[in-house]
Amino acid sequence: MTDAIPRSVRSFPSGERRPRAWWLVYIPLTILFIFAVAPLLLTWFTAFKTDQQQLVSPYGLPLPPTLDNLGEAWTVGRFSIYFKNSLIISIADVIGMVVISSLAGYAFARLRFPGQKLLLYGLLVGLTIPVAAIIIPLYLTMRDFHLLNTYSSVIIADIALAAPIFVFIMRAFFKDLPGELDDAARVDGANELQIFWQIMLPLARPGLMTVALLEFLWSWNDLLLPLVFLVSDDLRTLPVGMLFFQGRFTIDYGLMSAGVLILSLPVTLLFLIFQRDFVKGLASGALKG
Amino acid sequence: MAVQPYSRSIESLRAAQRGRSGLSRSVLQRYLVAYLFILPVLLLYVVFVLRPTLQTFWLAFYDWNGISVDREWVGLANFQRLLADPIFWQALQHSLIWTVVVVAFNLAVGLAAAALLAGNIRGRLLFQLGYFLPVVQASIVTAMIWRWIYAPTGVLNTGLETLGLGFLTRGWLGDFTVVLPALAIASSWMTFGLSVVILLAGMQGIDPTLYDAARVDGAGAGRMFFDITIPSLRNTITIVILLALVDAFKVFDIIWATTEGGPIRTTEVLSTYLFKEGFQQNQYGYGSAIAVALSLIILVASILNLTLRERGDD
Repeated sequence: MTDAIPRSVRSFPSGERRPRAWWLVYIPLTILFIFAVAPLLLTWFTAFKTDQQQLVSPYGLPLPPTLDNLGEAWTVGRFSIYFKNSLIISIADVIGMVVISSLAGYAFARLRFPGQKLLLYGLLVGLTIPVAAIIIPLYLTMRDFHLLNTYSSVIIADIALAAPIFVFIMRAFFKDLPGELDDAARVDGANELQIFWQIMLPLARPGLMTVALLEFLWSWNDLLLPLVFLVSDDLRTLPVGMLFFQGRFTIDYGLMSAGVLILSLPVTLLFLIFQRDFVKGLASGALKG
Repeated sequence: MAVQPYSRSIESLRAAQRGRSGLSRSVLQRYLVAYLFILPVLLLYVVFVLRPTLQTFWLAFYDWNGISVDREWVGLANFQRLLADPIFWQALQHSLIWTVVVVAFNLAVGLAAAALLAGNIRGRLLFQLGYFLPVVQASIVTAMIWRWIYAPTGVLNTGLETLGLGFLTRGWLGDFTVVLPALAIASSWMTFGLSVVILLAGMQGIDPTLYDAARVDGAGAGRMFFDITIPSLRNTITIVILLALVDAFKVFDIIWATTEGGPIRTTEVLSTYLFKEGFQQNQYGYGSAIAVALSLIILVASILNLTLRERGDD
């Protein structure tokens, strides 16, 4: 995160190094901080409260914490199954995306071939296409391929729809690598695959990290594609499971909060560990369709 | 070929080879490798993005329930129906209201927070982390959380009662007049962290000597903010606005998980409307006509966005 925002200490637009009225700065920032963090945190707390505790102290700490809600959501609420499905789809998405976006990004950045510009602009159009706008024919396509109600339908569509942005991200990374590297290797008789695999790919690791994290985030959180493609409850992902779950257990806040916790904890942890990659990646990938 | 460590020597070798036999075998081989590298992306893109996109336009000229073998070519009938459809115009209007709320929130909060963070303040990283936390959450999580905040006995009403503003309490998601902006605020909760980061990066790119000069001229904090900071951020602000605009037309999850476009279509937007027409009414042709309208709107916004972004990079 500190890289996304230059570390250099600059004076505040008010013209003072450290505003004299410090509270004028910290009070609004803190209110905004509470606005951003408290809704999620309170929901997490609720997941650990009994019905009694929810009534007595709806905004307090869950003391003593109970694991009943989590246990019930996990088993009766079938969140263990949704969790497994989400994990399978997201991991397959990440692996597939890392492979195909690095191959294509490399070709667009470092190789020369006829039609390169045209193909690149063709992909650029894909950045602008919103999923909702093509969901009907996409559904029909999956039906024709007999992929409806399989993990593959969601995985393939996830990868195809997000591929353009990741190809552009990887292309930018490969473009920034020094030009002498591959030429020198070529002179030494290395073939293109060796150059890609042994020299370029290891250097592009930060780019691959961005691709992996963002693709995981987007597929983990996605609702529309799994909602349309997956019919049977055994295949549903966490967001879809949550959607139908809320219809059945609307008033059980403890159970619903446990569901929110199960869905949001993995991405929150990833975010806290890899903050910088997320902030930079999302700021540059904000164009995704 | 293995001795000269200069790329130029390869180029000259290549040129020599080309001279002998048009395109030499090694060049063709390298083209082939490049095409193999992009083949997986291209294949997926053509089959699962490009073809469906064209199909949307094509389906919009048919009347089809999605199942029967024969579909009826109806020409522009779907588009005529669309233009005469009050729900379509309402949905557009809802998207515009949504955009206004999200843009206002993101700009006001984003600019204020970025300006405050741009100074050398302690704990900046912590604040940024906090603001960005909602950005990585699923929209269904946002939807669940804000359903509780807006519930008749939820946090918002309780808070209003406590402040003595009991007359303002209501069932926020059941009230026709406030449900749309209420959901747009929930959506802003999830996006403003990104605006803060984008605007802060923009602010830190402003030449500090501008402020020094203004200070010498005796300008105050407010003057500097409006005369230097805002004008310098023109491109960044436009990007934030266009991002919100595109988001507003793409929004589906939050509305679907809270109101499904209701009550009585007061939160219907293009994406929820086409979802209903397509997957609930089996009106694939008409649903596609709505999708065409949606695509065109987003295409224009995205082109504007890309153009500005390119210009901003220079």
